[in-house]
Amino acid sequence: MEDINAIQTRVKSMIVENLMLQIGVSEIKDDQPLFGPGSLGLDSVDALQLVVALDKNFGLKIPDPAAAKEILQNVGTIVAAVRQKFTGTSLAEP
Amino acid sequence: MSPRVILVTGANGGLGRAIAAAFLAESPQNLLWLGVRANRDKAESLSRENPGRCRLVELDVTRPDEWQKVVARIVSEDKRLDVLVNNAGKHHDGLLANLPFTAWQEVIASNLDATFHGCQAVLPTMISQRNGRIINIASLSALLAPAGQTNYAAAKAGVVALTQSLAKEVARIGITVNAVCPGYVDTESLAAMDGEARKSALGRVPMRRFGKPEEVAAAVRFLACPDAGYITGSILKVDGGIL
Repeated sequence: MEDINAIQTRVKSMIVENLMLQIGVSEIKDDQPLFGPGSLGLDSVDALQLVVALDKNFGLKIPDPAAAKEILQNVGTIVAAVRQKFTGTSLAEP
Repeated sequence: MSPRVILVTGANGGLGRAIAAAFLAESPQNLLWLGVRANRDKAESLSRENPGRCRLVELDVTRPDEWQKVVARIVSEDKRLDVLVNNAGKHHDGLLANLPFTAWQEVIASNLDATFHGCQAVLPTMISQRNGRIINIASLSALLAPAGQTNYAAAKAGVVALTQSLAKEVARIGITVNAVCPGYVDTESLAAMDGEARKSALGRVPMRRFGKPEEVAAAVRFLACPDAGYITGSILKVDGGIL
């Protein structure tokens, strides 16, 4: 299992590449909201792409809109879900 | 042209077979999956004539679980899915006053629900590829709304609206969604009309002839080709000038 930093970078790259964002990976903060005010400005079509990309890149399946709302808040929540899938541990744990 | 993996539903009908044949003729690299249900003799003959390039797959288009299985199999074997042609459908005509509700439901299910299920089943793969072509076979009935076809006209009008709405949703992902509206085309449905009805139908066609399945297939093939990459949400009539 990769360390958190590596996963964070992969997730950010995935977001930039899949959504064709005109920003660099380093410009995305871990706790920056993906949707809504002060966010990256993503919309529901972007969310759809992220759900597919997370399955393809990490095997992380997001089964319903409630789970998507939980997981797709920011890079940190995505990374936590990826870690939980592989290790059963969340990002909050040491 | 690079190899493409193409799924055509309703492949045993005259139109479905013509569409599949058009893709097979387009490039020796095209790989066809033919969705069939009860009848499969014509699709089987096409498959036999094109060994290794044309496979039959059992698909009841009204069942989302069957769609999921078929798409999973295609992706497992061919690693991608480039084109979906939602062609399967049926009609059950009659005046609304006497139309059994089951006839309404079955026509909505086989035309509109089926298109929904098909699009939903292929989208994750096409989104992942960031490329895909969906061509929905609607009907001129969607635009003309003839008497005696409340169910069919409503279903096909739904297919048209679904096409235009979905096209907007996935445009930025590199997926195009278009619909073709055939008019009177020389298929089983037309053959089933009695002489008077055929004569009356012909009288409505400015070109004074019925369309050939191959002429509809050519429109479908065009919408799926790279040159049509900027066409999405379009409703293409192939009707000899009726509308």
